[in-house]
Amino acid sequence: MNDVTAELTGSVWKVLVAEGARVEADEEIMILESMKMEIPVVAPLAGTVAALLVAEGDPVDAGTPLARIAE
Amino acid sequence: MSFTWKSALEKLAEHRRIAEALGGPERVRRQHDQGRQTIRERIEAIAETFTEVGEFAGFGVRDASGAEVGRLSSSYVCGLATIDGRQVALGGEDFTVRAGAPQTYLDRYKGGMGGFVEDLAHSYRIPLVMFMEGIGGDVSAQDEVGHSYLVSSMSWKRSLDLLGEVPVLVGVLGSAAGGTAGRAVLSHFSVISSGSVMFAGGPPVVRRALGQEVDKHELGGAAMHTSVSGAIDNLVADEDEAIRQIRTVLGYLPQNVWELPPRGDRTDPVDRSCDAILDIIPENRRRPYRMRDAMAEVVDRDSFFEMGPEWGRSVITAFARIDGIPVGLIGNNPMHLAGALDASAAEKQIRFTDLCSTFHLPIVHFVDVPGFMVGPEAERGGVVRWGMRAIQALVEAEVPVVTIHVRKAYGMAVSATSDPDDLGLRIAWPSAEWGDMPIEGGVEAGFRREIEKADDPERFRREVEERLLAASDPWKTVEAFGMEMMIDPRETRRVAAQFLNASLNGMRTRLGPREKPWSMRP
Repeated sequence: MNDVTAELTGSVWKVLVAEGARVEADEEIMILESMKMEIPVVAPLAGTVAALLVAEGDPVDAGTPLARIAE
Repeated sequence: MSFTWKSALEKLAEHRRIAEALGGPERVRRQHDQGRQTIRERIEAIAETFTEVGEFAGFGVRDASGAEVGRLSSSYVCGLATIDGRQVALGGEDFTVRAGAPQTYLDRYKGGMGGFVEDLAHSYRIPLVMFMEGIGGDVSAQDEVGHSYLVSSMSWKRSLDLLGEVPVLVGVLGSAAGGTAGRAVLSHFSVISSGSVMFAGGPPVVRRALGQEVDKHELGGAAMHTSVSGAIDNLVADEDEAIRQIRTVLGYLPQNVWELPPRGDRTDPVDRSCDAILDIIPENRRRPYRMRDAMAEVVDRDSFFEMGPEWGRSVITAFARIDGIPVGLIGNNPMHLAGALDASAAEKQIRFTDLCSTFHLPIVHFVDVPGFMVGPEAERGGVVRWGMRAIQALVEAEVPVVTIHVRKAYGMAVSATSDPDDLGLRIAWPSAEWGDMPIEGGVEAGFRREIEKADDPERFRREVEERLLAASDPWKTVEAFGMEMMIDPRETRRVAAQFLNASLNGMRTRLGPREKPWSMRP
């Protein structure tokens, strides 16, 4: 099980996958917004989206868990 | 006993044996067990040749009754060295002798404030390279000397003056406390090895002063100083990498400020097309990208070396070469705070600008800045004052500045990117956008009353935004000669090299120390 965490402070702009979806390594699963920039969040490995821990519009800080990917 | 050459040379050999023993085999073994080299090993690793000065300085070791039972060599090793064919003054504390404490027992200091090694660098105008590892002040010195001395009886002037004369490069390898820590930061470039620590006062002092228990790595660890305090520039994994980085930075800098930096080889063609830039800069303006990659594409291959990568992260400061000419690169980092300049980024930029100006490295500035950083944290950090100091540093800089407008350029921070009092050469890429403020926030702020009064506020706001966006077309500014050049980004290397080569004509006539038109930092 791999936690994907936010690398900076901002908010969740778009969630691109649903729980249960299969993803490839480096596939974009979310986009955060910070300082008017779109910061992509990618899957660290190929697997299944076991859990989405945030919703569109949620504020996040560096280190906030965003999703869990199961191998 | 009458003089004979034989006995005199035997005595010399005996002294040499004492010097080479450092603090004795047990202390040397402890140093090694803790993953650290001795100062003699470090000198051996970095220098091709080393002529030691003060080799036989030392002191008597006394027993409880005060009788001398042996002699130890002094807690500092220094001399004249060559590093990569360059003559330098080289020295460092011997941590195996009194934990590298200052040589208060000698008539003349070898290192530290006003020591021989500093006089050597000053007098011969050669770089000073130091390995720092010492506990700083030592109360037992008072015991020996027989009275307490004021630290203010000694002067830091030489250490400070050297910063305007020759490169001063430092590696913190082990613990550097008090005076040793202070000496370490009076440098142009510093590295600290993983596991090393630096602080004004260590855990025992903190315990007494604050009643707080703190681990020495939490207090002044290598990662903290290179990412939070910024007191040291670069974190290195081990002593070998420390030496490599010191040698690398030395390669960009001249022996002293009376010379130009050494030109590197010119094997990377200046007319190389920077094709990768079209892939690096996203067409979606809200997407960040790696500014380091754009910079690396323009400069000579493999010449990019970053200083301070882990702190002040919204700006990138790096040495590089263009057509062999050593340059200082400053670039905003869109991946951190969207490249907005906060106090720590401004501070990093100021030191780097001063360094480039001191050693005659032209500055190439890659601009993608939305402004000074905003918000309570930024304000508490003093972003306005530090941002203005960054502007001052560039106004004061006495080197050519080539400004490349990559993308955003808004607000006050843009004044810290080029030099309108001098040539003010600004080269825009078609991806560039600029203005006093970004349109979105600007319209809401500047037209608030009109928007509120309008019959259809949303439509009014949109109309104003569209009108301003049309006027903000960069080509309009270019046509008004409000921007000096607009180029195909693939031409950047060729164009920058032309200007930098031509600027050498002037740089050759402006050597020596910087004049300081401003005596006051706001």
